[in-house]
Amino acid sequence: MIDLPAAGSAVALLAGSLDAWIWVIPGLLIGLVFGALPGVSVSMAMALVLPATLYMDFLPAIIFLTSVYTGAGFGGSVPAVLMGIPGTSSAVATTFDGYPMARAGRHNEALGAALFASCLGVLASYAVLFVLVQPLAELVLMIGPYEMFAIAVWGMVLLGSLGGTSISRGLFASAIGVLIGTVGMNTAGYMRGTMGIPWLLDGVPTIPAMVGLLAASQLFGLVNATFLVESEQDRKISLGRILAGCALVFRYPGVLLRGSIIGAMVGAIPGVGSSIANLLSYAETRRTAKDGASFGTGNPKGVIASESANSSSEGGAMATMLALGIPGGGATAILLAAFAMHNVVGGPRFIDQNRDIVYAIILSNFAQAVLLVFVGTAFVFAASTIVRLPLRILIPCVLVVATMGAFAIEGSAAGPITLYVFAVLGWLLSRFGYPVAAVVVGLLLGRLIETELLRAYQMAGGDWREILNHPGALVIFALMVLSLGFSMWKDRRRRLGDAASA
Amino acid sequence: MTSGKPTISRRTALGLAAGAALAAPLPLRAQTYPDRPVTILVPFATGGYNDRYARAMAPFLSRHLGQPVTVVNRPGGGTMLGNMFYLQQPDDGYMVMVHSAAPFIPQTILLQNAQYKAEDFWMINLPSRDATLAATASSKPINTIDEVVAALKANPRSLTLGVQPASADFVNLALFLAGHGIDRNRARIITYADGGGPARTATVGGHVDVGFVGGEGFLPLRERIKPLMVFSDQRDPEFFPEAPLWADHAKAANIMPEFVEGSQRGFVVLRRFVERVPDRYKILESAIERATKDPECVAALKGQQLATTWYGPEASNRAYLNAFNTMQKYVDLLKQA
Repeated sequence: MIDLPAAGSAVALLAGSLDAWIWVIPGLLIGLVFGALPGVSVSMAMALVLPATLYMDFLPAIIFLTSVYTGAGFGGSVPAVLMGIPGTSSAVATTFDGYPMARAGRHNEALGAALFASCLGVLASYAVLFVLVQPLAELVLMIGPYEMFAIAVWGMVLLGSLGGTSISRGLFASAIGVLIGTVGMNTAGYMRGTMGIPWLLDGVPTIPAMVGLLAASQLFGLVNATFLVESEQDRKISLGRILAGCALVFRYPGVLLRGSIIGAMVGAIPGVGSSIANLLSYAETRRTAKDGASFGTGNPKGVIASESANSSSEGGAMATMLALGIPGGGATAILLAAFAMHNVVGGPRFIDQNRDIVYAIILSNFAQAVLLVFVGTAFVFAASTIVRLPLRILIPCVLVVATMGAFAIEGSAAGPITLYVFAVLGWLLSRFGYPVAAVVVGLLLGRLIETELLRAYQMAGGDWREILNHPGALVIFALMVLSLGFSMWKDRRRRLGDAASA
Repeated sequence: MTSGKPTISRRTALGLAAGAALAAPLPLRAQTYPDRPVTILVPFATGGYNDRYARAMAPFLSRHLGQPVTVVNRPGGGTMLGNMFYLQQPDDGYMVMVHSAAPFIPQTILLQNAQYKAEDFWMINLPSRDATLAATASSKPINTIDEVVAALKANPRSLTLGVQPASADFVNLALFLAGHGIDRNRARIITYADGGGPARTATVGGHVDVGFVGGEGFLPLRERIKPLMVFSDQRDPEFFPEAPLWADHAKAANIMPEFVEGSQRGFVVLRRFVERVPDRYKILESAIERATKDPECVAALKGQQLATTWYGPEASNRAYLNAFNTMQKYVDLLKQA
């Protein structure tokens, strides 16, 4: 399925133009920095540089934007690991194991693993794109409300009991998250829970709410600590240990592969994207891992699962955008706008007539993934110095940056207010032993589940037999029940075994 | 891809600037509007049609205003947040909106209890007119709108219909069904909030049998759909000319050919500003008119599939208020979405 002559002219296109290269490293750096600022999302970083690309040629402009995309995809995981605050909504699952690793003095390894998983995830997803642009896009089009609902429920079930000790508290926290996630206009046009506040019409702003919830629960947890990492000799920043973290990725190729596949698939579905992909990949990895119980306490597999999925969703989203001209999310919408600004219309015709340019974009992303290893290592090296900062300086700085990020989202006080309201909620929840992460998962998945369920209901027109017309969804549900049943059976056997040997 | 090298050398540019400075009568220059940069406010996120239009127009508007023009996005609440922000700005003519005025301003007023009136806004020019398109995926067995009508008349549940709730498209769908005596409550209508994109994807993917969505977004996906009907009374050779018009379809079926035009996008200011500072408004209006008609601007915008027609304030305000009145008339339809 690879069009070799076009690939050849793509190489010539890239090799013959300096312009196509000089923007890669600045783009990666811009992405890393903005992605690492809590509250500034991938699409915001891209929106910021979009006007500048007006003055470039088409190919350099797209390469610049995809470099920012790639950089920001990883940038978000730096604060996620170091402070437990995801820089973007795609790094939520990275906090689950990355942050405990950092607190235990293994921040070098965690960041190394995250970086390498990200780079390989980008590579893998663009490799898929290189071979299978069209089939992947066609597959995505086949996913309707029933299938989407089934996938979202799967994620919710797997993540429901996240991080908590008691199932009932986990369920309660997820329910709060779902309720908050459904504020605003639903897909049928009904307004719920806005209390007459126009700023809530589009729902509670997800990113400041998420940062508030997680930041508060993490930062208050640090009240008695003087440094992020307690033991002084662990506070070192060591290139060797970052590289050792990179090597960890190779010990779990299965985790990486699964994360990349989930990321590419979920990322390709319009309107879902990387913020769901990292959660699904994490949940699946935890379910299938033998040491599932150690997830959430600093298992590097959790970091690898999350990071490989959130970066590989870039390639998936690009497939939908290039092959169909449909933007899957904010980032690809901005890329399509950049296309339009250069008098290029994305979509089926573009990919047929400009195969060389499509290949040049893909090949450039291979190069970006490789360059990210180096730029990312330098960035991680610099960013890790914050573990040496005393917390009495670090925490106020983080709060100021988070507030600014929340303000930047809409340029109004609605962001910071949301941040503080949810910070208080996050503190209350963690004070009384409720898993804050479950609220975040509810917030991110709740809206998706509601929207798709409502559409499925509209499609059925009240007739439950409609689901029989959607075998894909039935298969997902059957797999879900089977795998859950199998896990429970295994669990039970293990417990019986433990009891017998005790 | 040819490179877009600047065609004006620095020396020429400096010369032009110096000439322009000399040409302006000195004592007046300090008070002459505009004497500082002008902002275009877009109540949508970066990358949509309005944003692209604003950014494409900015350099030409800047040329004709003699001041830099920047674009600011303030999305949210179906443009309500941007509208409220704009109403709080001083009437000094330094901020102008690029807006999908209809149907978004009427929608916020009729459905979201926005505390402003349709008449508070004044249209300078609304060059972009989008129309609702009824379309089906190319893989579907449906070929004409008459087949859709026949199938729905026989059994309203036989086809699924995709539409954005509380939108101009929804009013058109409701008028279409009511005209043919098809019970809307029995029809299977699947709603897609968050703009036209999701409804379009569902149509292309065949998850709904017929989608009723703004047609412009379908243009890049032309090969994957069959256009069935355009909700308009004028044929546009560049906008799915192969599909029948609603006006003709309605006439043939003896239905009132009423409909709501799709998005009407372009430059918008406040009526308050027009009335209080008419001299500044005149300067702004004429700069927008000259920019819109500037041959270079027309060429640049055409390349980006952006509209460049100059209708002027009179026709634009009429079209906008017409859309508002039709939507108000059918507000119950909208609310039942």
